[in-house]
Amino acid sequence: MSALDPFLVEVIRHGLSAAAEEMSLVMTRSARSPLLREAGDLSSAITDAEGGLVGQGRDIPIHLGAMAYTVKELLKRCPVETLREGDALIYNLGALGGNHLNDVKVARPVFVDGQLVAFALSLAHWPDVGGTWPGSYLAEAVDTFQEAMRIPPMPILQQGALNRPVLDFILANVRDPVACEGDLLAQIAATEAAERRIRELCAQHGTSVFIACMARLHDLSEAEMRAAIAGLPDGDYEGEDFLDDGGPGGAPARIHVRIAIRGEEAHFDLSGSADRVANFCNTTPFIARSAVAYAARILSGREMQQNAGALRPLTIVTRPGSILEPGWNAAVAAGNHETSMRIVDAVFRAMEHVIPERLSAGGPATSGLLAFAEPMADQSWRMLYEVHGGGEGARHDRDGSPATRVHLTNTSNTPTEVIEANYAIRVEQQSIRRGSGGAGKHRGGDGVVRSYRVLAESMWLTSCVERCKISPYGLKGGADGLPFRITLTRDGVVEEIPGKKNMLLRRGDLVTMESCGGGGFG
Amino acid sequence: MAQRDWDIGTDIGGTFTDIIALHRLTAERRIAKVPSRPAAPVRAMLEALAAVGLSEPDVRRFVHGTTRVTNALVEGRLPRTALVVTAGFEDVLEIGRYRRQELYRLDTPPKAPPLVPPELCFGLRERVGPDGAVQQPLEPAEIDRLAAWLARQGVQSVAVCLLHSYANPAHERLLAERLAGLVPHLSLSHEVNPEAREYERASSTAFNAAAMPIAVEYLSELEEKLPIGAGLQVFHSAGAMVPVPAVKRRPLVMALSGPAAGVAASARIAQRLDRPRVLTFDMGGTTTDVCLIVDGAAEMADTRMIGGRPLRQPMLAVHSIGAGGGSIVKLGPGGLSVGPESAGSEPGPACYGRGGTLPTITDANAVLGYLDPAARLGDAIQLDVAAARAVIAPIAEALGMGVEEAALGIIKVANAAMARALRRVTVERGVDGRDCSLLAFGGGGPMHAVGLAETYGLSEIIVPAASSAFSALGCLAADFSFLQQRTLRLPLDGFDAEVFAARLAELEAEATAPLLANGIAPEEIGIERVALMRYAAQSDSLPVPFTPPFSPEALTEKFHRRHKALFGYATGEACVIESLRVEARRPTEMAPPRAEAPAAPRPPRARDCIFPGHGRVATAILARGALKDPVQGPAIIEDAWSTVVLPPAWQAAPDAEGNLLLTRSDAA
Repeated sequence: MSALDPFLVEVIRHGLSAAAEEMSLVMTRSARSPLLREAGDLSSAITDAEGGLVGQGRDIPIHLGAMAYTVKELLKRCPVETLREGDALIYNLGALGGNHLNDVKVARPVFVDGQLVAFALSLAHWPDVGGTWPGSYLAEAVDTFQEAMRIPPMPILQQGALNRPVLDFILANVRDPVACEGDLLAQIAATEAAERRIRELCAQHGTSVFIACMARLHDLSEAEMRAAIAGLPDGDYEGEDFLDDGGPGGAPARIHVRIAIRGEEAHFDLSGSADRVANFCNTTPFIARSAVAYAARILSGREMQQNAGALRPLTIVTRPGSILEPGWNAAVAAGNHETSMRIVDAVFRAMEHVIPERLSAGGPATSGLLAFAEPMADQSWRMLYEVHGGGEGARHDRDGSPATRVHLTNTSNTPTEVIEANYAIRVEQQSIRRGSGGAGKHRGGDGVVRSYRVLAESMWLTSCVERCKISPYGLKGGADGLPFRITLTRDGVVEEIPGKKNMLLRRGDLVTMESCGGGGFG
Repeated sequence: MAQRDWDIGTDIGGTFTDIIALHRLTAERRIAKVPSRPAAPVRAMLEALAAVGLSEPDVRRFVHGTTRVTNALVEGRLPRTALVVTAGFEDVLEIGRYRRQELYRLDTPPKAPPLVPPELCFGLRERVGPDGAVQQPLEPAEIDRLAAWLARQGVQSVAVCLLHSYANPAHERLLAERLAGLVPHLSLSHEVNPEAREYERASSTAFNAAAMPIAVEYLSELEEKLPIGAGLQVFHSAGAMVPVPAVKRRPLVMALSGPAAGVAASARIAQRLDRPRVLTFDMGGTTTDVCLIVDGAAEMADTRMIGGRPLRQPMLAVHSIGAGGGSIVKLGPGGLSVGPESAGSEPGPACYGRGGTLPTITDANAVLGYLDPAARLGDAIQLDVAAARAVIAPIAEALGMGVEEAALGIIKVANAAMARALRRVTVERGVDGRDCSLLAFGGGGPMHAVGLAETYGLSEIIVPAASSAFSALGCLAADFSFLQQRTLRLPLDGFDAEVFAARLAELEAEATAPLLANGIAPEEIGIERVALMRYAAQSDSLPVPFTPPFSPEALTEKFHRRHKALFGYATGEACVIESLRVEARRPTEMAPPRAEAPAAPRPPRARDCIFPGHGRVATAILARGALKDPVQGPAIIEDAWSTVVLPPAWQAAPDAEGNLLLTRSDAA
């Protein structure tokens, strides 16, 4: 190993990243759902033969963090010897390194000369995976069976051929099978592209060298992370943050972290977080790890490749029965992008007196999701996912940016001209929410306002938004930003829509989303 | 008496202006490089003309590409510009699309501020739907309110971008009529970029409006100093020439003309050498541009970011990465990286001796002996190889190897980054990059070409003649053309032939008009038509060229085949023509420039160079102008502005037009 050419390792690093980026390109260019093609709610990764993430696209951090476990856990269920060349497995179960049922994974084992060398993994957020409510987000879900279709690992591709019965079974359980089929074919095509690139790399540099380089990439990231942690002062730090609701009687639910920095290692104990909640804000331990991995990257203040090696110096503990390890049948749709963000904020709050210059004040740490589902005459559904950024929290050296995405998410808005051409909705306003950022030496960024007039007979609305009750926090004495506010104007009467809600809309209703401002700094 | 026998191409960069002059009868060629004058661009052009021994009465045709507009946009030195949008959408530029560039960093610069500040954005009460139906009419009183507001703002230019104007431009046209004479310059979104997605269209229209006062001022001065009428032309971002009056209306078209000119020249060479697939590789000090040319035509793209803001128009698909000769090499616990930080031109690489203390790619090249230690660089500073060794030494030490070995490794990593850019432009188009020829130019292109070819598996490299003034040559060789692209959203199920024919005719008229206005006869103008197609539920479209008579069935069939080739599958879903693109083109006939006369023989020179797998080798240093026969590597082939590195096992053969063809010596 020590004889491995250090420059060749970098060449392989570029090759793996390029392969993952190519997967995402295939997805966005050929997918059907606006959520994928306009908002980009998808991620691509390459893992080694053991499932250790080694190459990733420039996608969505929460996905990429969880994908470090998606193949690892799969291999516990489907041992290596059951996999064959030309197979690809489709699955979405939480227990298999999953996050929520909407994020459907396609994993393709890549063989070179009969040897398993890597996996190509494509994750896409499907706009609907069946279940009680169109869009598959049920705020009051008591368990995951109410949420959506659960897909155990099934061979969608067998020795290169599409497995029609599996595809038909899946399409029979979603509300927009036409778009869904196109999206799934795009995912399969993406993994095929990665397979081609991995084989090229092996042919050019030798399979054993390729495998050794992947191992070295893990070691290098581990070394970088160890050096970064060593640069943080040893000590015990504690932080907490709260979900708007989910606790008993709708009270805020607590996320708590105790961090122990010891030399080159960091221990994150999340056991003090709330018990399992009675709605869709639970999440999986993989998401807890993913959120901590992101936060650790920010704490490190360094450039490094996010891979399995970077996780080695971190230990992350969750408590069985808690909101972060609620059991595999708990409802988890919102936890993926809401509870995970609370973990990031809790970690930042724990460290804000130690390294404030590396952090930012509280911001739009939520998906900001409003999903509109329109029942069509032919009994199919048309789904619009609107995801909203807001004002970024200020930093020690600058104001927060307006209308942007932070931390674990990086999805885009959908243009008004695309919405109006495809959905029975008129966007009546789209503006900066002036003055919503918190004051301070540096101001928080401003949020946005967007309002939707319903033009159809009826629409099924889902809201899934955090920071509606608890404002994005100011840092070092900076003021909080204004919280999210969602309202319904019906027959001239204005009422608030809660941050997590399923409800029916009718023609003429006006839904207005005002997204949060960022907290100020100093 | 001067005869107006000279055709001039010039490329005005941020630092230098390149000029190439070609005599239309004798094919005599003259090349020069003079400093650019950002404050007096026209003066710099006339100085460049003087530098090749010519003046205004000699000039028949004068084609120029310039970064003037781009630089002004990037640096924010902009005229006071207003934006008029549909009421409720005043903040469209500030909101953007939400996405951030860096996933795992918070210490990033803030989002780029909007090109037009909020106080100069006006919300106009009107509304058109996605189908073009007027939902709220634009009342005369509303236009009066706008006119009164504009009168108070004292702006030099106005951009108008109303919702869905690509579907029905009536309200924008009405404004144009009523505001005529009230504002100095007006840009309408349905003219500048008639395509859906309001943020990208508004951003492009605002760019155009902000560029207009700058462009009109200097183009008018140029017309005055070079009164050659239709012979005065501007190179545009889609890789062709356009007459000055059209550019004054749409200065946006020249925003990326610099890189496009090099690609256009490459396309010409690909045609002449009959190479079906060519990858261009233009490596400069801070960035590297690559582009794919298939069957003699460069691929097209729609959108490019400038200073963090989208600019959307049909243009050559030039892909830039932030790695060039000045890119800084770093070694940390996590491994070795090259770029994106750059030493730029100040202080520059350590070997330039201007105070650079960080190792760069150029320093690695200096250590390996590829750069002429006696050459003078720019301001007469000599190469400092010892300084290059000194900055690379700590990396070598940390890795437990010699300085030369470390330098070779750095070049290998740099080439891997370049290969990633080549991969990007080929996979986007479904082309296997290894079937391509590599066309290398720019300061670092010919130096890195062989290493990159070996990394990427390419078997042929072309180093074009006049590689130093290559972009200027591209200006000269380019066709005359104008493009127009518009969103149509026409389903092929229940195809509306009437609407299609009407839109196509409009676009053809719009694309042809600037050429006709420039005195080109209609029969000389060729029309290229491309349907941008997608499955109904998709977002991205694929370009599908077609010729009359139009057949929806044939087009659908072609689309399915293209989709299958690119993505590996096709389905039976309904198809949509998202947009139509029409290009009117008048080909330019240009005799190939005569190869330069062989230079006077020089005493043979040699120095030690280090090549991967070969170590230190005595290497012949050859003057490019003196090459007549094929040369075996190892050799360094130099001309005034570029260096070709030819390692052992490679050979270089000059052709009749002065191009160098590099291939493996052991290839059959």
